[in-house]
Order: sequence, then structure tokens, then C-alpha cells
Amino acid sequence: MSPMRDVDHMNDFQLADPVPVQLLREDGTLSEHPQFSSYVEDLEDEVLRELYRHMVVERRFDAEATSLQRQGQLALWVPALGQEAAQIGVIAALRSSDRVFPTYREHAMALYRGISPEELMGTFRATRHSGWDPHTYDFNGYSVVLATQTLHAAGWAMGITQDVATGSLPEGRAADEVVLACLGDGATSQGDAHESMVFASSYQLPVLYFIQNNHWAISVPQKTQSRTPLAHRAAGYGFEGIRVDGNDVLATYAVSRYMTEQIRAGGGPKLVEAVTYRMGAHTTADDPTKYRSREELEEWKSRDPISRYRSWLLTGSKVDQEYVDQVDQEAADLASDLRTAVLAMEPMDLERVFDTVYAEPHRQVEVEKSWLKDYEAGFAEEVDHE
Amino acid sequence: MTQTFNLPDVGEGLTEADIVSWRVAVGDTVEVNDVICEIETAKSLVELPVPFAGTVEELVAGEGETLEVGQPLIRISAEPGGGETPPASRPASAPAAITPDENSSGGETRQEGSPDQATTEDQQQALVGSGPKADAPKARRRTRPAALDLVDLTGLEMGEAPRRGAGGDFADIVQKASPPVRALAKRLGVAVWELVGSGRNGQITRDDVERQAQQKSVSRESAGETPPPSLGLLYDGPREEKVDVRGVRKATALNVAASASTVPHVSVFKEVDVTATMELRSVLRDDPSYQGLAVSPMLFAAKAIIWAARRNPQVNATWHDTHYTLCNYVNLGIAAATPRGLVVPVIHEAHTYTTKGLAAAITALTTDAREGRTTPAEMQGGTVSITNIGSLGLDYGTPILPPGQASIVMLGAVRTKPWVVKGQIVPREVMTIGGSFDHRLIDGDLAGAFVSDIASVLEQPGLLLG
Repeated sequence: MSPMRDVDHMNDFQLADPVPVQLLREDGTLSEHPQFSSYVEDLEDEVLRELYRHMVVERRFDAEATSLQRQGQLALWVPALGQEAAQIGVIAALRSSDRVFPTYREHAMALYRGISPEELMGTFRATRHSGWDPHTYDFNGYSVVLATQTLHAAGWAMGITQDVATGSLPEGRAADEVVLACLGDGATSQGDAHESMVFASSYQLPVLYFIQNNHWAISVPQKTQSRTPLAHRAAGYGFEGIRVDGNDVLATYAVSRYMTEQIRAGGGPKLVEAVTYRMGAHTTADDPTKYRSREELEEWKSRDPISRYRSWLLTGSKVDQEYVDQVDQEAADLASDLRTAVLAMEPMDLERVFDTVYAEPHRQVEVEKSWLKDYEAGFAEEVDHE
Repeated sequence: MTQTFNLPDVGEGLTEADIVSWRVAVGDTVEVNDVICEIETAKSLVELPVPFAGTVEELVAGEGETLEVGQPLIRISAEPGGGETPPASRPASAPAAITPDENSSGGETRQEGSPDQATTEDQQQALVGSGPKADAPKARRRTRPAALDLVDLTGLEMGEAPRRGAGGDFADIVQKASPPVRALAKRLGVAVWELVGSGRNGQITRDDVERQAQQKSVSRESAGETPPPSLGLLYDGPREEKVDVRGVRKATALNVAASASTVPHVSVFKEVDVTATMELRSVLRDDPSYQGLAVSPMLFAAKAIIWAARRNPQVNATWHDTHYTLCNYVNLGIAAATPRGLVVPVIHEAHTYTTKGLAAAITALTTDAREGRTTPAEMQGGTVSITNIGSLGLDYGTPILPPGQASIVMLGAVRTKPWVVKGQIVPREVMTIGGSFDHRLIDGDLAGAFVSDIASVLEQPGLLLG
């Protein structure tokens, strides 16, 4: 057979529709989609309400955290404002045992999984390296280094396939688990993301790549990073990619459900590009007014994920005003709890950082540890003098 | 109770912010997280939310003022029974920009025995305010921690105590030698901490490392580690070789030939106990503000020459056959051996420099000279010069005067020698100084007085204070 004919094993996907899948229009009315409407038609009101509740609670939580940082109580905060629907849409479509590999902005997903405000704040208060046990919530620690989590996700997924192949799946783990690899538009330019996708495709790993395209990689606009919709990149690796309106919680949920079904059925990796917008700063150390226009911000305000969904819920009598008020109260309570928890958080014993690096004593770690003690002793001396 | 909100670090590692505008006035009622003002930091414009509820009692800083992180920004008087207060259970060491005021009645006080007590003496002192990472008393350090010995340098074992070399301590080396340069040094077996960087701000360059490696291999060769050259020749090369004279070599040749054949040179020497100078030198070397500057015996000699020239004006002059010009200023020439030959760049108006300024000037000048960047213009106008043959390990020699100058001072190597102090033989740091002088206007007695004055300063650097 000539090499030119060697195409039998290659997938030939249609490129994703550049127009994102949308089920809920900006004005809060439902639109019909031939493929995805069915995924939300039968959703119970209870499920619909939960989607709403989680988005609202996270937004209030996010605002409180921003204030706490401005008041000197957090070292840094990474606002997720505007990305609530993308995050809640995908996390609600997963099973609670599906492992999530988050970036550092996945607060809505984290809270949805039951991670407490205090656990979530450990890193931002600089009192913990990672505030929660990843195994308890099947939710890995936040990755601050861009795109590294996509490699971890591919590795985890490879572990699952090996466990299944060798019949050594741990008790309580399902053979058809999905691994969620979160990344942003900026991280797609990292080599790690490329390697992860190559491996996921080569080994047909059960990974769902979930790109929150919030349009800005700090100050670099998305259009600089890619001349093509990010969802199109999946075709290059040989798997399916779909663009979805990331400010439409129903569409994100529906597309994610479809993708996870395919993955669970052995379909290999998939990619979802949730088109959304970071309404706030990249982090509290960033000033977005320096690189983006007020007009752009106003345009995205009109596509707000929560107000359009609330409007649809109220119009369709899925919820009443009382429920909306009740959720607002819950969000305010959570914000207040967050403030109390943050103010009471105690610093970590720093020795722990050194003592948990290696199983056995290690020379370099010992040197670093004694350096730190010396460093801290320098402060003590100063206080004594004053 | 009055609570004070101190300016927090709203970015990462910011130290101050300008108050752009206040959104509240004294007497206003505020709720937690109400925006009270807009500030501008080095990074961004930021709206600040207030951390507690109550009535605005005082805006501590006005619009347009710059506040340091941790300084009081606003004071809020809590409504009786209302408003939010920081929980009393807050750990003393936990960060907070919120300070209960001690001087207000009914105010919360800090926990007994807390580490913060050291600062409670100062009622206005901001307890904290620079974010969760550091509180106010911790923000300024007095002691410098030992260098973090994690960098694998040639010849130094992991965990071995950091040592000082010509290039400074370990932290200096890590700063001055980039990882690729350190890797090169490792490959060539060069101990980077022994190098003085010739790059900008004392950066150790690849050239520095390669030069050192070359010198090492030359000295190895001379120690007989390499095979002997072919029979009948001193070294591997042609039996005779014609080398063209040009550039700096040519200029040097013309200058010294003219000077030696027209100026009658007279030389005098004196051995000096420079122990006090060497002590002062180590003090300045440890002074962080001298970091990156070459604090050499030359620096102190330069100061001494300026001091001595003030007392012996005639050494600082130019001979013109029918008259000579006395210079009531010092343009100090620094003779530097470079791969291209001898160059003598000049520090103009050297008498106006502070010690540190002079150190910086000498460092910059010698670096430029070694890298061949000295321009002819920079070598013009010298009135007195200095040559440090001590750096070559020599004790004394008779330098040739640069054209137009009447004095050149020579510095020998500093050596620990037996020295008689008050009838006792004690080890002291000793150096030979001296130089060559234009005998047409400087006789041996004036040359001697000048050199003795320089010697006095090097013996007792405190004289410079006078």
C-alpha cells in the first residue's frame, strides 16, 4: 500500500460550526437546536433551579472575595465574574466521581463539588498550598502554571485506561469515567496543551477538554492567539470539537452532556470551547481598563449569563420571585460566612511545606528550611529592637 | 469604637498608592464593602471597599496624597451594637488591614502576649496593612539572611557554608552570573565566585569565565602539565614572528617613548602599614550600597592622592618649558592593563566625588577599559595618574609619566608582613607606594612629601574626614 493511501485510521471530523451552540437567547427566550435541545427538554425544575442557585451564589462569593482582597485580607483573587454559566453548565453535566483538573479560576465548579469557602481560600489567603483534598472531591488542586493541568488530566485518564485494561480498577471507580481538563484561551497557546491533546488522541483517552474562551489572556486578546475558532483545533488532533455559548448555561450543559456520553461510550477525547467573557480583571493585580474598551464590556454585559437565565426561569414559572430572593439571601449568608472564615484563618506551619516534599530527609530541602529559619529570625531581631 | 482601615496592598508587592478621590465624607454612614475611595497604584486604578460598617469619622489622607501601604486611610466609628467588627478571635499573627484603635474608648485591644505587642507602644502605628504576606513590623528587615546556597557552583559542595570571593558572597554570584554563564563555568571548571564581573553592573560574562579558564590552562601549561614544545623552540609556534604594531600598543609606545626621552623621571618609594585602610575596605564591602562596586586599595589611594595634592599643589601640574600650569582640581588618570595594551582613562574633577561616587567611577572606568570601550577622548586631560601594579602581585616599579602629567603614583601589592609596633613585631597589612615625578618641577623632597602624605592617609584613613 502506498503511504499516500495510509489514511484508514484517521478521523475526518467536520470543523465545528463557528457559530456557538445556543439554546437560550440573550433576551431569555428559548431557541430550538436540532441536536441539543433534547438534552434540556426533560430537565426537572429542581435541576434547573440548582443551576441558577449555584451561579448566583458563586457570583456573590466572588464579589466578596474581591472585596476581601481589596481590604488586605487575601494576597490575590482571581475573579470568575461572567463565567458562571460555562462553569456550572459543564460541572452539572458530569458525575460527581468524574475527576476535574481545574485552572485557578474554577470557583463555581469547586463550590458545586462541595469545596468549602474556607478550603477554597487557603491558597488566596496564602495559608495553604492547596486548601482541599483532591480525592475527597475528585477535584484536583488549582493549577497556577498555565496548561499543566491538561497534562495531569491526560495522565489521570491514561491511568484509568490502564486500570481498565489490566482489570485493576480501584473499588468504587467506574470504568467509564470522564476526566475534565479545564483550560482558558491563553493556555491553548502553551506547549503543554498541545502535548496533552496529542497523547489523549493517540491513546483515545476519556478526556473532555473544556476551554473557557473568556477572550483575554491577561492583556492579549483571543484574536491574537488564534486565527481560527479554538474548537477547530480538535480536528487537527483527530477528535470532535464544539463551540458553545458559554454564557448560556443550558447550552453548555447540553453540549457537555452530549460530549461526556460520547466519551463514556469509548469515543476518545472531545473538546468544548465555551465562548464567554471575563467581566472582571484577570486577577486583582490587573487593571483591564488599560487594554480593553468600555464598549466591549457593555456589549458583554448585555449577554450576562445569570440575568438571561433568571428571566427565562421566571417567565416559564420554573421559579418565583420568592425563590430568587431566597437564593440572594443564601448568597449573602455565604459571603458573610466567607468573610468570617477568612478573617479567622490561621497561617500554616511553614515547616510542613518542607517536611512533605520527600519521604526521606533531603539535603536541598534541609538547606532551604534552615535558610527560612534564618530569614524569619531576622524579623524577630528587628521586633526586639523596637 | 473607632476602627482604622489601613491602606492594603491591592496588587502584588505594591508599596504605596495615591488617593485619587474620596467617595465618602466625614459623617457619612457606610456598610461593609461600600466603596470609599479610588486609589491609583503603580499597576492600576482601584476602588477600595471598606471592611466595616459605621460612620466615617476621619479621612486620614487627602485627595492627591500618596500613602504607604499600612498607613491609616480612614477611621470609622461603629454604631453602638451595629456594624461589623473584626472577630476578637482573630489570631494575633493573622494578617489584617483592620486595626482597632487603642485610644478610643471601648475599643478592642490586642491579645495579651501576642507578637504584635512590640508595636502597641505607638498608638498611631498601623498594626498591619500590607496584605496577608507581611505585617508592618515585618515589612522592614534589618538583618540580611545568609545567601540561599542552592546553586550548584563548581568546587562548592551542596550545603557547604557560603564563602566570599572576589565577586562577593553567594547571593552576589547568583545575581551576577546568569545560569548559562554558571553552566559554562561549571563546564570549564572555573570558580565563578572568584571572578570580578566586567559586564554592566558587575555582571559576570561568558568572556570573564573563558578568560579565567584560559589563564588557568596557561598556568597549568606553565606548571608542566602539557607536553613540552618541539625541540629547539621555547613554545609551539614559528621560530620568529613579525607582529605589526598598531592601536593601543602603538599609542602606548609613542607616549612612553616621548615621555621617557623628554621628561627626567625621579622615583621615590615608601612602605606603609595599610591595616586600617584594609579594615575600612571590608566595612565598605559589606555595605549593601557598595554592592557591585570595586572597593579596592586603589579607591583609598585615589582619595589619599586628592587629599595629598591639596597639600602639595606643585605635584598636580603640567610643564610647558617656559612655564608650568598648576591645576587647582584633580583629573585622575587610572592606568589599566588591557588585552589591547595600556590605557589610562581619566576621571575628570575627581576631587568632587564622594567615596562611593569614586568607587563607581573607578569600577565603570576599569570595566570599560578591560572591554576595550575606552575612547581616546576619555584618556585626555589627566593631571595626576595612578597605577596599581599590586594587582599583578608586584611590590614596586618605576612607571613612565603619561604625557603632560607631572606625577604618577604607584601602588604595590598588600602583603601581611612583620611590622614593628611599639617595640613589638606584629603582623600588619603592608604595601609599598611611590611613583615617578617630573624632576623639572618636582624635586625629591616634594615627591617625598607627597608620597608621605598619601602614606599618612592610608595609615590613618580617618584623616580624610579632616
